[in-house]
Amino acid sequence: MTKTPPDLPISPTRKMFLSGASVIWIIPILALIVALFVAYRSYAERGPLIVIEFEEGAGISAGETELRFRDVTVGVVEKVGFTSDLERVTAHIRLDKDVAPYIDNGAVFWIVQPEVTAQGITGLSTVLSGVYIEGSWDQQVGPVAERFQGSSTEPLIRGGQGGLEIAFRSTANGQLTDNAPILYKGIEVGRVGYAKIAPRGNFAIVEALIFEEHRQLINESTRFWDASGFSVNIGPAGAEIDFSSLATLVGGGITFDTFVSGGAQVSDGTVFEIYPDKETARNSVFNASEVDPLKMSVVFDDNISGLIVGAPVEMSGLEIGEVETLSGLVDFERFGDSRVRLNAILSIQPAHLGLQDDVTADAALAFLKERVENGLRARLASASLLTGGLKVEFVAVEDAPEASLNETENGLALMPTTESDVSDAAATVEGVFTRINSLPIEELLNSAISFLNSAESFVSDEDLRETPQDVRTLLNELTGLVSSDEVKNVPVALNGTLVRIEQLVAKLEEERIVEQLSSALDVASEAANAVSSSVEGVPELVESIQAVAAKAETLEVEELIVALTDLTESADAVISTDDAVALPGALKRALDEVNATLEELREGGAVENVNLTLASARNAADNIALSARDLPQVVERLTALFAQASRTIEGYNKGEQISRSAEQTLRNIQKAADALASLARTIERNPNSLLLGR
Amino acid sequence: MQMVRMELSGTSQEILSARDLGIVACTRCSKPAPMGAQTCSRCGHRLVSRDRQSLQRVWAFWTVGLMCYIPANTYPMLKTRTLFQVDESTIIGGAVELAHHGNWGIAFIILFASVVIPLAKFMAVAFLAISVKQRSVTSQRQRHYLYEVVEYIGRWSMIDIFVVAILSSLVQLKSLAAINPGTASIFFALSVIFTMLAAQAFDTRMIWDTQTKDEGLKTND
Repeated sequence: MTKTPPDLPISPTRKMFLSGASVIWIIPILALIVALFVAYRSYAERGPLIVIEFEEGAGISAGETELRFRDVTVGVVEKVGFTSDLERVTAHIRLDKDVAPYIDNGAVFWIVQPEVTAQGITGLSTVLSGVYIEGSWDQQVGPVAERFQGSSTEPLIRGGQGGLEIAFRSTANGQLTDNAPILYKGIEVGRVGYAKIAPRGNFAIVEALIFEEHRQLINESTRFWDASGFSVNIGPAGAEIDFSSLATLVGGGITFDTFVSGGAQVSDGTVFEIYPDKETARNSVFNASEVDPLKMSVVFDDNISGLIVGAPVEMSGLEIGEVETLSGLVDFERFGDSRVRLNAILSIQPAHLGLQDDVTADAALAFLKERVENGLRARLASASLLTGGLKVEFVAVEDAPEASLNETENGLALMPTTESDVSDAAATVEGVFTRINSLPIEELLNSAISFLNSAESFVSDEDLRETPQDVRTLLNELTGLVSSDEVKNVPVALNGTLVRIEQLVAKLEEERIVEQLSSALDVASEAANAVSSSVEGVPELVESIQAVAAKAETLEVEELIVALTDLTESADAVISTDDAVALPGALKRALDEVNATLEELREGGAVENVNLTLASARNAADNIALSARDLPQVVERLTALFAQASRTIEGYNKGEQISRSAEQTLRNIQKAADALASLARTIERNPNSLLLGR
Repeated sequence: MQMVRMELSGTSQEILSARDLGIVACTRCSKPAPMGAQTCSRCGHRLVSRDRQSLQRVWAFWTVGLMCYIPANTYPMLKTRTLFQVDESTIIGGAVELAHHGNWGIAFIILFASVVIPLAKFMAVAFLAISVKQRSVTSQRQRHYLYEVVEYIGRWSMIDIFVVAILSSLVQLKSLAAINPGTASIFFALSVIFTMLAAQAFDTRMIWDTQTKDEGLKTND
């Protein structure tokens, strides 16, 4: 028998609820609990769903595109759909629970996309990772909102971001650049949003943000201007090229400055104007200041062109106003003549005089009144050598004649003037040039040319050319005559003649010829005396000529030149007369005649003619005596003529009209010369002034 | 003893089980002992002719396995991060994507290994657990064979987890590319583990019992 197994205690089965359940069921129960817990957790932690509407999908995809806040993911797009009218794209975003309460009505959303602009490249990371939605909201928990309007571009003012929110309004010729930086001393202190046309359409308006840390830079006196591009100005102050930075050159920008101190702090929502350039902006400070400008009148004796409306009024180099209107003024009663004077009405800005307490037009007037009594005068001065522009300058003149600020009948104070300091090189030099230009130089040259032409034709006359030949023939014939036998026989004949003369003298002695001779000699003597006296008259003649010359010297150059022209014309006329042209012929004929005479002399009995000759000599002597007697008269007449000429010139000199203009001209020339000299000195002292206009 | 004989004669054409012979074998050292013995006389292991709680354990593990299988399929299996993008795909999603790219073969393998086989395992274990309670048309041999297949295949399901583990340990090229196991991998591993536990918990001896004799199970511990 095999050993049976020992009896084992057999316990009865207890039938109880779950009695047969294994402990292993704990595992699925635990798993279930864990699963349920996790499910609950994830459900409980699930943030709310918001819907953002966008114009364009721009690459948003469900499950991938994130919502970021300060570059941290706070939500994911769960669904992308459309609004019921398919107008806009809706992105359903599951938010993180902890940020959800902050996303209230003030939240803004935009899609961040890669963007390359002149200001730089933004959103570069989205090139690889795809777009994401950036949100911005403030730190306050607000009422829950479910639908938002997203924008496709980054909003200028983000929720919760501090800063001064202002707006810009374009002026007539200003312009606004979208999304441009606001620069101050080259540093970006703010940003401009997107420009919109104002509801009434008369200007563009754009909102801008000045970052919180630069808020104090802006006050009510701040002026903004467009710094985009560059500007080239050629004005009364010379040439200026202006641009802020290369970035603004490309992308545009706005910069600002506070030209005068003391503006009150501005609050959000203040609207500023954008001026086209710095100059306009600066000027606008004074135009726009609350103080009414002081109007005053200045009457300038000189009517000098170059002063224009808007020309600056300066005191000690500081621009205190501008010329408002310009008009001519003729007032016989006030000035004693009917000359046209320049009446300028100046607009003086009291705020710019640096008045201490009371900045009003009256205070400015009182201030100027006091200064005028101490010698402050207005004068015209050149604003720029290059452009010839003028400005009005208030200068203190020492030892100025007493004057005061008087009110004229039109209620404006009349500022006394002093001599203009127009180193108006421009005007005067221009005048000189005008005068030089008006000189009849061309006519003179024409006359000279025609004179020379006539002279040439005179010289090239054939008769004149033949003259030397004739002279040579004449000399040959003279030689021939002298060397002829007859002439050689002349001594013999002369001898005979002398014998005869001897006889004749003897006869004369008898016939009291000596007395006749004596009388002849007396006549000769008288003639000599007359010549002497006529010689005595010559110095007078010279003096007269000198006087004439002196007068002529004092004559106006123009007149002189005109006279010279006339003279040359006359000379021309003389030379070009037929007589003058025929002169060579006549000369030739005269020589021919002399020739013929000599020939005749040679042929005819010369000796016989000696008597006749002597007789002729006597006649000649008589004639000389007669002429000598006439010579003093001629000299006297010449003297008288010159005296008369002198008187004429003198009288001419006194002629009202011409004299004044001549004087004027000469003075002008002198002034011009002075001005040029001073200009030269100025330029020598300060060569830059030529460029800078100061 | 009479009962045993009766049964023996009644089931002459069927396979005679140890239980039919009134013997209980030690599951640890295989030493047979007469029915009713509490512990193995050799190794001291508790002796149980039929593990009453086997089915409970099977169902418990099966439930946990199925619970884990749901997130294993809904959560991403692999997190592939290349330079530009992060790609998270579930098992089915990845297979579908591969199929889209024309890799039908790989897609099929993935689908087969990670979806079909686990599901088949669930169904097989469930079928076995049910079949021991109710009359089944399939023969006991077939069911036992099915159990062996399930037992054998079960461990291979972990190949998915191995692939994930190897990939994520190999492909870690800093920012250039990186593969990290997704949430699903843990659940998938848990699912596989629990299905294996479920399969192991199944007491195969129950296959051989005739389903009609429920009372026999209840009378014998």
